[in-house]
Amino acid sequence: MNLTVNGIAREIESAPLTTLLDVLREELGVTSPKVGCEQGGCGSCTVLVDGEPQRACLTAVAAVEGAEVTTVEGIGTADSLSAVQQAFTHHYAAQCGFCTSGMMLAAEAYVQRGGTDDREAIQEALAGHVCRCTGYVKIIDAVAAVARGEEFDITVTAASPGMTNLGGVQ
Amino acid sequence: MKAVGARLPRYDGIEHVTGRTQYVDDVKVPGTLWTKALRSPHHSASFSGLDTSRAEAMPGVHAVITWEDVPLLEYGHLSALGIPADEPLLAKDEVRYKGQPIALVAAEDEDTAQAAVEAIGIEFEERTPLLDIRRAFDEDAPKIHQWGNWYPHFEGEMDRRQIRKGSIEQAFEQADTIVQGVYRPAAIEHVPLETQVSLVVPEANGRLTIYSCTQALYFSMGVVAAHLNVPLNKLKVVGGTVGGGFGGKVDTATETMCALLAQKSGRPVKWRWTREEEFLCSSTRAPWHMEIADAVTKDGWILGRKMLTLHDSGAYARFSPYGLTKHSFHHTGAYTIPNLEFDGFVVFTNRVPTTAMRGFGVTSVSFATETHMSRIAHVLGLDPYEVRLKNANRIGDTSPNRIVYTDPSTVPVVKALAGGMGVELAPDYAAMDREQRTGDLLPEHLVGQLADPEDH
Amino acid sequence: MAVKQGRGIAAIEYPTGMNQNGDPSQAWIKVKPDGRVDVFAGTSDIGNGSKTIQSQIVAETIGVPYDWVTYDNSNTDSSPVCTGTFASRATFVAGKAVEKAAERVRERILDIAGKELEIDPSDLEVVDGEVVAKGAPQKKLGVPDVAAAATWTYGELITGTGAQLKPYAAIVDAETGEVDLPPHSAISYAACAAEVEVDEETGVVQVTRLVQVYDVGRAINPTLVEGQIEGGAIQGLGLGVLENCYPYYPSVEHRGGQFGSYLAPGFEDLPQLDTIIIENPSADGPYGAKGIGEMANNAQPPAIAAAVYDAVGVWVTELPITPEKVLRALEAKAEPVREGKRVTFDAELSVNTVSQGGIAFEVPA
Repeated sequence: MNLTVNGIAREIESAPLTTLLDVLREELGVTSPKVGCEQGGCGSCTVLVDGEPQRACLTAVAAVEGAEVTTVEGIGTADSLSAVQQAFTHHYAAQCGFCTSGMMLAAEAYVQRGGTDDREAIQEALAGHVCRCTGYVKIIDAVAAVARGEEFDITVTAASPGMTNLGGVQ
Repeated sequence: MKAVGARLPRYDGIEHVTGRTQYVDDVKVPGTLWTKALRSPHHSASFSGLDTSRAEAMPGVHAVITWEDVPLLEYGHLSALGIPADEPLLAKDEVRYKGQPIALVAAEDEDTAQAAVEAIGIEFEERTPLLDIRRAFDEDAPKIHQWGNWYPHFEGEMDRRQIRKGSIEQAFEQADTIVQGVYRPAAIEHVPLETQVSLVVPEANGRLTIYSCTQALYFSMGVVAAHLNVPLNKLKVVGGTVGGGFGGKVDTATETMCALLAQKSGRPVKWRWTREEEFLCSSTRAPWHMEIADAVTKDGWILGRKMLTLHDSGAYARFSPYGLTKHSFHHTGAYTIPNLEFDGFVVFTNRVPTTAMRGFGVTSVSFATETHMSRIAHVLGLDPYEVRLKNANRIGDTSPNRIVYTDPSTVPVVKALAGGMGVELAPDYAAMDREQRTGDLLPEHLVGQLADPEDH
Repeated sequence: MAVKQGRGIAAIEYPTGMNQNGDPSQAWIKVKPDGRVDVFAGTSDIGNGSKTIQSQIVAETIGVPYDWVTYDNSNTDSSPVCTGTFASRATFVAGKAVEKAAERVRERILDIAGKELEIDPSDLEVVDGEVVAKGAPQKKLGVPDVAAAATWTYGELITGTGAQLKPYAAIVDAETGEVDLPPHSAISYAACAAEVEVDEETGVVQVTRLVQVYDVGRAINPTLVEGQIEGGAIQGLGLGVLENCYPYYPSVEHRGGQFGSYLAPGFEDLPQLDTIIIENPSADGPYGAKGIGEMANNAQPPAIAAAVYDAVGVWVTELPITPEKVLRALEAKAEPVREGKRVTFDAELSVNTVSQGGIAFEVPA
């Protein structure tokens, strides 16, 4: 079985009904997609299959034979972060980081298909990705920023628009 | 200040966005075995005939453990705080909650491990479970714990956590109104995106390396060391990077079992819970039952509070006595109430043991007392901000346990909230501050109750 | 039948550190020959950002750039004890330990620099990775040069250790609950207003806005504090209106074993969040910090319950406030029992009603 993963052609040895998630993590050592639920319910396993977000935990590898699979490892590196990765860093959209890989790929696909900075549209596009840490606010901030084509200074993190600091005791 | 107060990027930010952060399940060690557990299908049952021989004989199975393999079967995680042990690592003779682990199998792959679990022989005799904490004290309630149905080992072997201050009888007598209500927040799950997981590697020199998702490396190391009866340097706990915890990854739910399996098999052993196990078998936030009766004046002073708390500990104590104690210390919330009668019980039921979750002990009391405060305002026809500002603790007031408040911020946060909501407070209230009550601001009911400012 | 709006408030407090204290955290720091700083602490980062906060505290305290600090919390061989990441103690208690260790390191750096520069250490300070004479900035020596001197001239490892332990506050009288010492490291405060829309026909409670005020003592990293506040708000919302392990509690039937059947909050549940931060510094936390992590999910449920009452005139005090509970309450239109000066809500839930005499809650008539 053949599969292209992050631009590299791979020959897959696992059984055809092995999930794409297990093939990536266990056979190929690509660990950015996470095992969150294996029920398709959380989005942590999301990868791009020919550019479209798909739940790797519910995908039999045989079903994606010949496809181009993209994971976070394929969208940027520490020396060359993609816009989505920069935005997630600057807007502090990751706390524990476990949902982050799936979240960023969903965001990547959203922006690629022309998604705007409309917050409701972003919420709808990413619905079904569960985050327990962030409360979603900064994830939406990050995706909106990418949609607007903003540049990011990743040496600092952004302030939340809904916050006011009153200073000392009133 | 250069670093403090600055919006510096996360230390682990780049790792997170490049998918390079290493969680326990990302650690790959050749030869790692998969683990599956035989779990109780019943809420309450005795069992016999536990037979692991067929499982052990299966090709691909490298180790099976039961209670007999555990050097110290019961270890109280908070025994240092005086909470004795009550829970076996693996069930012996009986099960007290659905999902309780009875035996574990380490095998070459997941399917083999699962098949081996299904080959373990066991016979159950179901018993009537106790599920309603309000019924736990009744004579005809099933007796479900060796200590009785509620925890009896508070200081002085008291069976409750008690707070007493002033005279609640006098408060009720002086009150214009007594407002009573019942509050029942639910058990909820922690729902970390990373489920419970650990990987234990037996090293060449006899040590065990424990890759753990724990929120507390040393705490968990202590638990494993106690169960295995080994000194701390026999173990190396590796972790510190957790895919969400919220209080649910302190219980050390997998590490000891993997350590035993690793020792028995001589192979690295991983146990990663399925999401279903995480939802149905992992410890939860506790359900609570709280009844409050507040003695109030018609102008909104709370003279006294009588409160009964029942904490649903599930099948075993775990950290519940600690949580109830913390709850009792904060049952007046952000206010000063001079007359108090609090009684709290840690009650056992046949459900998954409850544990710490974000706010442990205080989340429940904040829900009860603040909803009650809103009700008081409603019953008396008073403004909800004013009732809170009036009773808000001030510098020099004392807490339920007679500690002097040196630095309370109730007044500033309530006033700031009014400001944020565009609510204009009446002049008397807008002028309030958190400073020590003096002269006109000293309500009658607090005279004689306040500490001398020189004392702190 | 309409969608009604309501508003409710809550004001709360929450302790920093384990209840009754006695929870140690320790750290040690070493300086490499080129001046870079290695921190070893045992605090797990569960997403709250403790690696970041502790690195910031070290950088500030020693006087070096943030990116000179390496933080290792990875294992129990190299890291000393930290009781754990819970009880909102990672910034205050564990942070205090690294602050103390960093202070020791700064003292050593000044001492060695003092020898090299022939200036009294008390006349020197560390700024941005350089040791500088106070009032005479042209007299300076880079921290890398100090570290090199330590290694190859003086034969010293520049190191510092720190331990933070607030003494255990014992309960001296079990009958009253009196303690002999403050049972916490600090107390934080918060207030919350919830705005809701309740659909009288379906019973659905939509939380549309949360206005929150937090006194955090000192925001070591404001963005991290926001992260706790935002994350906590959604967990509090979940506790208030969505989540339940036992939908028919006390029954254990019908538990949700999947994301579809257990209702963890999603993007669609996010209300408008407006937050005000007050900094009322703690007496002895690092740089005045106090805990925030847990308190962040405590104020929403009571504010929401009060808002639901404001909207449709029913008190639902069994969480979560589900559509079913709202509809049943609207149908029942329960009024509190009024007897003399007593106003009694929820009599049907009380132990007085449910228990068979094993326990009672007695209030004088």
